[in-house]
Amino acid sequence: MRNNSSRFIERSITGALSFLRNSVFADDIALQKGYLQARDPRIRAAGIGVLLLAVLFARSALFLSSAYLLCLLLAAASSIHTMFFLKRTWLFIPAFAFFIAIPALFNFFTPGEPLISLGHGVSITEQGLHGAVIFFTRVLTSVSLAVLLSLTTRHSVLLRVLRIFKIPQVFVMTLGMSYRYIYLFIETVQNTFTAIKSRVGHVSSVRKGQRAVAWNIASLWLRSYQLQNQIFSAMLSRGYTGEALILYEFRAGAKDFFWLGVTIAVFVFGLWTNRYLH
Amino acid sequence: MDKSVFALEDVYFSYLGKFPALCGITMQVQKGSRVAVIGANGTGKSTLLSLLDGLSFPDRGTLYAFGEQLSERMAGDDDFWRLFRRKVGFVFQNPDIQLFCPSVREDIVFGPLQMGVSPAEINKRLESLCAVFGIAGLLERQPHQLSIGEKKKVAIASVLAIEPEVLLLDEPTAGLDPQTSREIVDILFKEHEKGTTIVTATHDLHIIEEIADAVHVIGGQKRIIRSGPAEQVLADQAFLQENNLIHTHSHRHKDTVHTHPHTHCDHHQPR
Ligand SMILES: Nc1ncnc2c1ncn2[C@@H]1O[C@H](COP(=O)(O)OP(=O)(O)O)[C@@H](O)[C@H]1O
Ligand SMILES: [Mg+2]
Repeated sequence: MRNNSSRFIERSITGALSFLRNSVFADDIALQKGYLQARDPRIRAAGIGVLLLAVLFARSALFLSSAYLLCLLLAAASSIHTMFFLKRTWLFIPAFAFFIAIPALFNFFTPGEPLISLGHGVSITEQGLHGAVIFFTRVLTSVSLAVLLSLTTRHSVLLRVLRIFKIPQVFVMTLGMSYRYIYLFIETVQNTFTAIKSRVGHVSSVRKGQRAVAWNIASLWLRSYQLQNQIFSAMLSRGYTGEALILYEFRAGAKDFFWLGVTIAVFVFGLWTNRYLH
Repeated sequence: MDKSVFALEDVYFSYLGKFPALCGITMQVQKGSRVAVIGANGTGKSTLLSLLDGLSFPDRGTLYAFGEQLSERMAGDDDFWRLFRRKVGFVFQNPDIQLFCPSVREDIVFGPLQMGVSPAEINKRLESLCAVFGIAGLLERQPHQLSIGEKKKVAIASVLAIEPEVLLLDEPTAGLDPQTSREIVDILFKEHEKGTTIVTATHDLHIIEEIADAVHVIGGQKRIIRSGPAEQVLADQAFLQENNLIHTHSHRHKDTVHTHPHTHCDHHQPR
């Protein structure tokens, strides 16, 4: 029984690491054919940016929900499996938003007309519920948009686009290095884990693993930091100057501008709903 | 002086000022030559190559590359380094470090892109490297999805894409099967025929005669204890044994019996 549960721990840790690596770092969706992939990366990013602004300014729950629906449609049109997309957005990131939104439901944070009374003077208010719904859909949709862009754009292309939008080189370079660092860190953890496994058979507890291999966060950070330095040398050696460069030229066509036009229309519509839909 | 690519005079280097890694290296590398640096683990081969590549600088002694002295003072000279990086390519010992891009394709084009080579020319190089290394099918893979042999090939291809005049290789065949080793040795041979200067650090005595004309042996004292033509150095079995260069090898060969009786030096003696 004990043995089974430790195998379970082992499998879920390795599983989580692989999932993290594959979902955050894989470029395979970006290489597939799909609506967003076919757009010029600069305009793809600009359009997503416009939609993001629309979502940030919107105050109508109806509009925000529709924008989220639009994200799902875009994902489907860009050969992203809906389940995969939902997992990425729902499980990973907006969980935090949910926890922030829940307290706002209640009357000590957002006073107003009681909608549901829970007794002892605590009740869910209408204003509170409305605020929470708006906040939640806004975060969910923003995160979905960001995920859409990152899934459909190769990492190196994304960095290049940021440079084209005049984001300073030092930021883009830092972003690129952080990305490599996280990658390395996951890999280091994975390797350490394999090393522990090969010495103690399987990992039943962190403490047991610790005895076998220097398994602690400090040594992991240090190791991946050293690797990072070596990688930086390897980059320098091949002429790295800090600039994000890619092989092909971007080319924008009528379809790309149509996409940008649609997103601007959505933005304007979003502002309009603020006034007339509440 | 003008035919010399590297000239080192009594070079010392230590990590963080307290872990000595090179203690008085004096050597020269001529243009178009093939040099091997051999020595047991920890004798400073990798450190020496990183100094030759200008990634760190000597604590003491002088190191000239293309007639210019490499030192901290050169660090800010962007024009020099741009030219230097185009001339010198370094294949690191660990391909996981060498391959830092999300895909094989991006890794191969990284160097030439940074150096401002035109896209048409880069594509031409990419195509010919794919043919030479047989890696066309791997271009969209992530580097960690490759076998060790594939990684090593891609690592070498990513450096050859720069078309360097000088190639520094750190253990290019370590841990590879004979077939893959063979392919890499052949590719290096062709590179040399094109006029590329090749400096290889290795303890794989198998390949030395094929990849080097001159050999420098670094000893446990972290300085060069013998230099000479490959044949001559490889012939002195007692010397190699003493310096921990054939000891491990003869062990391994006893397991696989008779295919390579004793050491590789034996083949050479009858000549
Ligand atoms: N990053 C480092 N920090 C401290 N010491 C190091 C570091 N890298 C290498 N050394 C030391 O420098 C010496 C030479 O190492 P290295 O150049 O890697 O040798 P080789 O490549 O011949 O195996 C060794 O004694 C090693 O312990
Ligand atoms: Mg080494």
